[in-house]
Amino acid sequence: MANAVELRNITKYFPSSNVLANNDVTLSIAEGEVHALVGENGAGKTTLMNIFYGLHQPDSGEILVNGQPVEIHHPDDAIKLGIGMVHQHFKLVPSFTIAENIMLGIEPNQYGMLKKKEEAELVRQLANDFGLPVDPYARIRDLPVGMQQRVEILKALQREAKILILDEPTAVLTPQEVKELLAVVRNLAQRGRTIIFITHKLVEVKDVADRLSVMRGGKMIGTRSVAETSIPDMARMMVGRSVLLELDKKPATPGQVVFKADNITVTDASGLPAVRHISFSVREGEILGIAGVSGNGQTELVEAISGMRPVEGGTFTFVDKDITRRSVGERRKQGMAHIPEDRIKIGLNLETNLDENLVVNRYKLPEFNRLGFMILSAMKRFASFAVKQFSIAAAQPGEMIATLSGGTCRRWCWRVSCLASRSLSLPTSQRAVWMWAALSLCIGRWWMCGTGRRRCC
Amino acid sequence: MEGDLFTVALLSSGLRLATPIILAALGGAFCARAGVLNLALEGKMLLGAFVAIVATFYLGNTLAGIFVAVLLGGLLGYMFAFFYLKYEVNLIILALAINLLIGELTVYVMRVLFGNVGSWSDPSIQRLPDFEIPLLSSIPIVGDILSGYNFIVYFSWLACIVGYIVLFHSKFGRHIRAVGENKQAAETLGINVRRVQVSAMVIAGMLCALGGAFLSVGHLSLFTRNMSNGLGWVAVTANIFGFQHPLGVLLTGYFFGLAEAFAVRIQNVTDLPPNLIQLLPQFATLAALILVALREKANLALIRRRFRRQLARGEMQTPVAGD
Repeated sequence: MANAVELRNITKYFPSSNVLANNDVTLSIAEGEVHALVGENGAGKTTLMNIFYGLHQPDSGEILVNGQPVEIHHPDDAIKLGIGMVHQHFKLVPSFTIAENIMLGIEPNQYGMLKKKEEAELVRQLANDFGLPVDPYARIRDLPVGMQQRVEILKALQREAKILILDEPTAVLTPQEVKELLAVVRNLAQRGRTIIFITHKLVEVKDVADRLSVMRGGKMIGTRSVAETSIPDMARMMVGRSVLLELDKKPATPGQVVFKADNITVTDASGLPAVRHISFSVREGEILGIAGVSGNGQTELVEAISGMRPVEGGTFTFVDKDITRRSVGERRKQGMAHIPEDRIKIGLNLETNLDENLVVNRYKLPEFNRLGFMILSAMKRFASFAVKQFSIAAAQPGEMIATLSGGTCRRWCWRVSCLASRSLSLPTSQRAVWMWAALSLCIGRWWMCGTGRRRCC
Repeated sequence: MEGDLFTVALLSSGLRLATPIILAALGGAFCARAGVLNLALEGKMLLGAFVAIVATFYLGNTLAGIFVAVLLGGLLGYMFAFFYLKYEVNLIILALAINLLIGELTVYVMRVLFGNVGSWSDPSIQRLPDFEIPLLSSIPIVGDILSGYNFIVYFSWLACIVGYIVLFHSKFGRHIRAVGENKQAAETLGINVRRVQVSAMVIAGMLCALGGAFLSVGHLSLFTRNMSNGLGWVAVTANIFGFQHPLGVLLTGYFFGLAEAFAVRIQNVTDLPPNLIQLLPQFATLAALILVALREKANLALIRRRFRRQLARGEMQTPVAGD
């Protein structure tokens, strides 16, 4: 089988974040196969594909397409070589129609004037050819995510892409949409397209891919045939050791109810209902999971619980007190904490150092301020105590948050909230396998030591 | 102090005064559609006004003078684009710098060349001639309103219609809108984002300069210090009020032109204090901006009210999670 793509000894270093994203990576992809590229978040998969698509330039290494060495400086070059990419975050113009998005840049025209009918007809034809029906006149902003993704795929196909890169295509889809997408991917492979499928969901790899390549820490670990590799083996390649898929946890012994949501209704930013009449309660010493595909109201619910978003109806009760109208600060004071989904944006202030981030929810306590001025020495003492207590590697009191790695940031955010909390609301979306395990372990520990105490973890 | 307040003459002088606003706002619309906030309309207009009259004086031909002004306006637009795209200068700071710079530079050059500080004119300078449109001018009233202007006025109407066709029905216009709405989408499809934005800013510069030229050699035949006198800022408002749409801008531009004509007219026919009346166009601007802001808020409130009503009636059929 001929190789459609060969990436040889690719190295890419990002000086701004001091990350060696790709370290001497070599990858060959056969023509007409579905090739899964797997690895944890930050393993370098996306960087490698961005290099291949011309969005980044490698520091060294070469790229061969159909056996010919090529230089790809710009997505234009990639498109000309028959490479198409469906990005994780779609690159669509919301107010344009499907046809307008697909034909953007290659519009049929006469003297620069658009031929809109012809354009729609071309799109309809293309969609029918590939069995991906769409309404060419529908506007992108009115479409569900699965349909938007279909538009992205058609966009690449219209440009006669022979090699299609799908960057974490299933992360945003519902289970039903995932099923449809996997069928589309198989179908395209049968029509002779080569597909590079980036993911960290191993079940999908098993379902759709012919071979898989595993990356870890910027290095290529190896390429295997999917049929001959079991899921635990794949996970081991990804993480570098056996993954603890089951947590050793004692059975829960919940106490009385500490938090109660009663008939809660919340609207999203545009005033439309996001959460409708939800009621639940959490008991002391209990972990409550809330599941759902993103965009189904979890974000709004969490924001409402933490006090960042007003509720339209219903009440929250926390330790027998109605906190529905309480501010974020008051809720925190009563012992509630929130570890946001986007820890970098919401959870931490990157412009300041560890100490300040650590006391951000307790700077009003008398030990940290005197007449409104912060006591820096007390903050520093507290930070060194925290660093020791939680054995956070590569962190010094006084260090700027921005210089820490993403994972360390996340852990920091955790500590900030863990100290002095009685109940937590936290998301675990899109976490890679080990991260999830580590988080569970951490909540597990927090949970086991009981509630209402300052020293937990 | 005589005559009626509302006359045909009011409508036609509104159209005349609207011309520089319409042209500059159209330029602003092109920039906004390309994703560039252009607050330098004022400076570009002032440059156009100054260059047009100076070039007319030296070249001895009004049309040639206007041509030079439009070219220099385009060049200023290009410089704006250059500093923004090459050095990533903050757009607001850049625009304020250009506005202040042109304001002082025109006064400085006027003093160096002609020794005047406040205003300057020369008998040799010919105002752009008005002309009647055949047939149209013979219709009563309509002819009086729509005919009898110089070519810049007619051009401003035409430019809005052409602008609409270009933005919404041409390949170039679609690229502008794609760049403005999702730069990355355009970029990944191989559209040259820089070139599109530079073009939009050059077009805006030329339109603003033409609007300025209308002030100095179209409407009058003199230049005064700070001649644009806030019209560029009114154009920024007209652009927002007209939803960055060329035809919308034509209407809102006329609205503001009419407000100015009204202010002039009211001074002639009433005894109200003129200082207060001169504020009228500014009040119109403020009212327009508040209207735009309220419209968005009203939309949201409407959706929320509908939702609450449904909620109260218990029409929301949704499962309730158990404990």
